[in-house]
Amino acid sequence: MAQSTPEILRGTFDLLILKALSWGPMHGYAVAQWIERATGDALDVGEGTLYPALHRLEERGWITASWGPSENNRRAKFYTLTQTGRAQLRVETANWRRYAAAMFAALDAPAAR
Amino acid sequence: MAWKRWSPFRRPLGPDPAGDVEDELSFHVEMRVRDLIKQGESPERARQLALQRFGDYETSRTECVEIDERRTRQMARSEWFAELRQDLSYAVRTLRRTPGFTAVAVASLALGIGATSAIFSVVHGVLLEALPYPAAERLYEVRTVYPDGTEYPLSAPDFMSIREGNRAFERVEAFSTGTFTLLGDPEPKEVRGASVSDGLFEMLGLGMAVGRGFRPEEHQPGQGAVSVLGHDFWRREFGGDPAVIGRTLTVGGDPYTVIGVLAPGAELPQAADMFTAITYDSAFSASNEAARRGEFLQVFGRARPATDATTLNSDMRRVGTTLQASFPRTNERLTFSATSLRDIIVGDVRTPLLMLLGAVIFVLLVACANVANLLMARASARQDELAVRAALGAGRGRLVRQLLTEAVVLSIVGAVVGLFVAYWGTRALVAAQPADIPRLDEIGVNGTVVLFTFAVAIITGLAFGVLPAMGSTGTALMGAIREGGRGGSGAGGHRVRSGLVVAEMALAVVLLTGSGLLIRSFIELTRVNPGFQPERAVSFRMTMQGDRYQNGAAIRGQVAAVLDRMRALPGVTATAATTLLPLSGRGALVDFAVGNEPPPPGVNAEIGFASITPDYFKAVGTPLIRGRTFTAADDTGAPLVVVINRAGAQQWFPGRDPIGQRAVASGAEREIVGVVADVLQRNPGAAPLAQMYAPLAQRTSRSARIIVRTAGDPLALAGSIRAEVHALDPNLPVAELNPLGQLLTKSMARPRFYTSLLSLFAGVALALAGIGIFGVLSYSVAQRAREIGIRMALGAGAGGVVRMIVSRAMILASIGLGIGIALAIGLGRVLRSQLFGVSVFDPATLGGVVLVLIASAALASWLPARRAAAVDPASVLREH
Repeated sequence: MAQSTPEILRGTFDLLILKALSWGPMHGYAVAQWIERATGDALDVGEGTLYPALHRLEERGWITASWGPSENNRRAKFYTLTQTGRAQLRVETANWRRYAAAMFAALDAPAAR
Repeated sequence: MAWKRWSPFRRPLGPDPAGDVEDELSFHVEMRVRDLIKQGESPERARQLALQRFGDYETSRTECVEIDERRTRQMARSEWFAELRQDLSYAVRTLRRTPGFTAVAVASLALGIGATSAIFSVVHGVLLEALPYPAAERLYEVRTVYPDGTEYPLSAPDFMSIREGNRAFERVEAFSTGTFTLLGDPEPKEVRGASVSDGLFEMLGLGMAVGRGFRPEEHQPGQGAVSVLGHDFWRREFGGDPAVIGRTLTVGGDPYTVIGVLAPGAELPQAADMFTAITYDSAFSASNEAARRGEFLQVFGRARPATDATTLNSDMRRVGTTLQASFPRTNERLTFSATSLRDIIVGDVRTPLLMLLGAVIFVLLVACANVANLLMARASARQDELAVRAALGAGRGRLVRQLLTEAVVLSIVGAVVGLFVAYWGTRALVAAQPADIPRLDEIGVNGTVVLFTFAVAIITGLAFGVLPAMGSTGTALMGAIREGGRGGSGAGGHRVRSGLVVAEMALAVVLLTGSGLLIRSFIELTRVNPGFQPERAVSFRMTMQGDRYQNGAAIRGQVAAVLDRMRALPGVTATAATTLLPLSGRGALVDFAVGNEPPPPGVNAEIGFASITPDYFKAVGTPLIRGRTFTAADDTGAPLVVVINRAGAQQWFPGRDPIGQRAVASGAEREIVGVVADVLQRNPGAAPLAQMYAPLAQRTSRSARIIVRTAGDPLALAGSIRAEVHALDPNLPVAELNPLGQLLTKSMARPRFYTSLLSLFAGVALALAGIGIFGVLSYSVAQRAREIGIRMALGAGAGGVVRMIVSRAMILASIGLGIGIALAIGLGRVLRSQLFGVSVFDPATLGGVVLVLIASAALASWLPARRAAAVDPASVLREH
C-alpha cells in the first residue's frame, strides 16, 4: 500500500515509470507489470498510485498519451516517452547511481576514527 | 492532439477527462482480473484480489481527473492564444498584401478615431476632470441675488453673516480682486492682486513653494502689509529667486513685505499675481449696516459632506431672509444663491463641447460605415479564399473570428495613427486658445485619453467588422465555389452596402446642417451693428494709484494731460477716456428712477454706468441719436448730466423724448442731455441693455481706458503712446494696449471656434460619405460590367449608361438626405442655444445642404459612370 511505501521510494517511482516507457509505448497496466517484474515485486506500491504519477508526468510533458487498441482490442491509453522525458530519464538515472553509490560506500565504510 | 489519429477512439463531444480516467483505471483492473483468472483464480476472487492490489481506487481516480482537467484548461487557453496569434499574423499579412485598401481604411479610421480622441481629451480636461482643489465637488460660489434674478458678489458684512449664520457649509471663505500698480525697474507694471480671507488658501489646498502663508494676526487691521506671490508671477518677475522673501514691494502706493510664494499650479478660481490678507476691520462685521451694499467679495464655501445644491440653496435663502428682517434698508428683497464651482467655470461651454463630441462621434460612425463598406467589398472579392478555407475545415465561427481580427487590427492601427492625429489636434486646439475656454491649458493626450482611444478602436473594429464578417461567411460562402469563383456577394450584400452608404449620407447631412446653421448664425453675428467703429483705433488702460493721485482732481488732471499728448500725436483724429470699453460689460450697475415716478412695472430698475470724457463717442465711433454729448463745460461744478443709450431710452421713455428729463441715478439727480446708439456690451448675440454715461469730470475713476483714433495704422503709434505716458509719469503703466477691433474679434472667437470645428467635421464626414458612394458604385460597375456590355451591345448609348450609374447615386443620396434632414431637425434642439438669428428650419441652410450633398454624390459617381461608359461590349462578351 502507498502508506507503507518508504518516502525515499516515491521519487524513484517516476524514474521507474520513465525507465519502463524507455522500452516503448505501453499502457498503465503494462507499466505496472514491468515494474513488478523488474523489481521482483519488491516495491510494494499500490498499483492505484501509478496513475496519478503517469498523469503528472504527462502534465510535465515528459510523456505523452494516446488512445489506441490494446492487445485484446480494448480502448487503452498508451504512454510514450517524449524527448524531454528521455533526457530527464538520463539525468535521473545518473543522479540515482551517484546517490546509491554514495549510500553503499557510506554503509560499507569503517568505523569512525 | 495526437489521439485524433485514432478516430474510432476519439471522443466525439470534445475532451472528457473524467470518462477517460474511468476507462483507463477500469481497463487496468479488468486486465488484472483477466490475468488472475488465467492463473486459475475464480472470477469473484480474482476481482477481489485485483481491487486489493490496486489500492485506493477513488483517490487515484479523483487525483487523475484533477490533473487532466487542469491540463485541458491550460491547453484550451494556449490553443486560444495560438489561434489568436495565427489570426493576427494572418490579418497582418492580408492587410499588407492590399496596401491601398489598408491605407484608405486606416486613414478613415485614424481621422475618425483621432478627431474623437482630440475632442474627448478636451471634454475630459474641461468637463470631466476634477478641479485642482481638495473636495472640489463640494465647492460652491455664493452670490447675492437681486429680485430681478441678477447675481452679484457679496459685501463684507453679508459675507460675515453667511460665514456665521449658515448651516450647510463646512467653511466659507472669500477674496476680492483688483488691479494694482507695482513700482519697479525699468517700468511700473500692472499686477492682478487678490485679497484673501484667513482660511482661503487652506480650503483650496494652496500650498507654498517658498516662505509661508498669512498668519491670523496679519488679518487684523494695521497688520496686513505682507504679501504672497503667485508662482508664475514669481518666476516671471523675479526669476524664481527665493531671496525675494523679505523684500518690500510698492503696490498701489503701499509697501508690502513678501512672505511667501505659492506652490506651482496653486491658483485661485480667478488668476492673480499677488495676494494680500483681507483685514477684518469694522466693515467685516455681521452687524455692520453701512457697508452692506458695497459688493466686492467673491465668496466660496465648501459644503458639508453629502449636502446637495438644493439644501445649500435653501440654507442660503434662509440666511437671506434673516438679513432682510435685520437690515430692511439694505437687504430688502435680497437673497443668496450657491452655484457649484464647476458650473461657474465650465457652465457655458458644456453644451457646445458636448455638441462637438456628438459631432465627432458622427464622423467616427461615418468612418466606420465607410470601412465596413470597404471590408464588404473586399470580403466579396475574397469569397474564393474564404470558401477554400471553409472547405479545408475552418468552421464559420473560425472564419468570422478571423475577419473580426482583421477588422480590429485595422482599427487598432487606425487608433495608433489616430493618437498622433489627436496629439497634434489637441496641440492645435490649445494653441488656437479658442476664446478663453476655461481650463484649456490643462488638456492633452493623457492615459485616460489613450485608454478611451483604444476602447473606441476595439468597439469600432467590432462594429464595422461584424457586418462584413457575418455577411461574407454566410450563405454566400457556400455559393462561392459553385459560382466558379467569380465571387458575387449577391443582392443581399449589395443592399447592406447601399444601406451603409445611405447611413453615411444621413450622418453627413446632419453634420452639414449643423455646421450650415452655425455658419449662418456666425454671419448673422458679424452683421450685428456693433454700435462703434472698431477700425483704426487703439485703447490702453491706466490705473492711477499712489501718492501722485490722492484726489479726483489729480486723476482728472493726469487724464487731461495724457489726452492732450495723444491729440498732439501725428494722425490722431480723436481721443478720449472712458471707464468702459465696448464688449466689456456694462460697468457698475446702479438704480435708475425717472423723477418721482415709480419704475414702470416689470422693468429692471438698473442701468449700467460708465464715465467718459467729452470726445468719447467720436473716438469710439458711436453715433449720437438725439440731444448732445458732453462738453468741457460739463465740469465738476456744473449741473450733473448724463447720456443714455437707445435701449435705456426705450425702457424708461417709451414714446417720449428723454432729453431734458431728470432721473435719479447712483444717489444723485441728473439731467438726460443725449441719447446714443446701443453699443455691444457682452457679445454680438446678446440684446443691448440700458446704459448710462456721465462726464468723467463729474464721476472720476482711478482706472481709465484711453481710446486713440487715428487716420492711419493705430498700432504704429504704440511706441509714441507709451513714451508720452512715460514722460508724464514714469510710474504709470500702460496696460492692454490693443486695437479696438480686437474686442470684436475676441467676442466672436467662441462662435468662430465652434463653427470652424463643426464645419471641419462636416467636411470630413462629407468626404468620407463621398468615398463611400464612390466605392459602392465602382464595385457595382465592376460587378455589372457584363450586363452593361450587353446593354451597350443591344444599343444602349454611353449617355444612358452614365445616367444609369449617376441616377443610382442620386437615389442613394436622396434617401440619405431625407433621413439626414429629419434627423438634423430632430437634433436641432441641441443646437438652438448656439444659434443666433437663424431658425433650425432655416430654408437657406437646408437648401444648401441638399445642393452640396447632391453635388458631391454626382462628383463621386462621375468616375464610376465614366468607367461604365468605357466598357467595351465586345471584350466583355468574349470574356464570358
